[in-house]
Amino acid sequence: MQETEFIPYIVKPREDTGLYNAKFGIWLFLASEVMLFGSLFSAYILLRVGSFTWPVQSDLQNVPVGAINSVILLSSSIFFIRAWVALKADDIAKYKKFMYLVILFAFMFLGLKGFEYYQHFSHGEFPKTSVFMALYFLLTGLHALHIIGGILVNSYYAGPGMYLRARDKQWFINRVEVAGLYWHFVDLVWIFLFSTLYLL
Amino acid sequence: MEENSQQDEFQRDILIYFSIIAMMGLIILISHLQLKVWGIFLIVSIACVEAGILAYYFMHLMTKKKTVHLVLLLTVVVFLSLLFWPAWDVAYSPRTHSEFTTF
Repeated sequence: MQETEFIPYIVKPREDTGLYNAKFGIWLFLASEVMLFGSLFSAYILLRVGSFTWPVQSDLQNVPVGAINSVILLSSSIFFIRAWVALKADDIAKYKKFMYLVILFAFMFLGLKGFEYYQHFSHGEFPKTSVFMALYFLLTGLHALHIIGGILVNSYYAGPGMYLRARDKQWFINRVEVAGLYWHFVDLVWIFLFSTLYLL
Repeated sequence: MEENSQQDEFQRDILIYFSIIAMMGLIILISHLQLKVWGIFLIVSIACVEAGILAYYFMHLMTKKKTVHLVLLLTVVVFLSLLFWPAWDVAYSPRTHSEFTTF
């Protein structure tokens, strides 16, 4: 007996919500993520509003590297969409190619973030240096952890997790779609991080 | 037929991709103009539009069911309430010099 036969709504959507289990679950999870990052953005706003002086952030940040990272993450989102479309069309070679591109671009993002951190450390800028630097490292560090989580999930679905497709194609497509929603959300958070921590 | 629709979707996604990059370029330009409060307002507004477009098209919010919209609406309402409550408190509570954050 397959799981799809005794766990309801893992492939087909529920009649009342119109969503299958994983999709409903990921949206609830993303809502909690909005609260998590939202509370940290709130802390940033309140600390900034409540301070007499605040540094010119763009002087402390490497804006070109941040901009390149934005393009990298946005490109990886596009690759994810292509991978999902290829999976739906049963083109596994193309699916894997795009998933590997997503993972490669995620590593490129982390590499550039690491380079930025290295620059900060070599200038003697640490979280303890100032309120702004503490918020910068907290927010970007948390975001980087999300990227690492995404890399793990995407690598699983591009490699060892492919056996799940043999069990149920549509179920696997749904899983990849859910992973994609998470990935786009991570991209969305970066848009706000870049604007807030680099440019304001 | 389905191939044509996929091709259309791909072209749309590419268009959105370049639109978001263009908006990113625009906010970098605005940040160099030293517009002070207006600069902050514009940058945050454009970032919200960017994020909105990304969620609407890439996360398929345009075709999502009411349940998702309801979850997101509830999240936004709770979040904004929690954000503006302390913000209001900070703005209207009299404070001494030492209560301000020091950089």
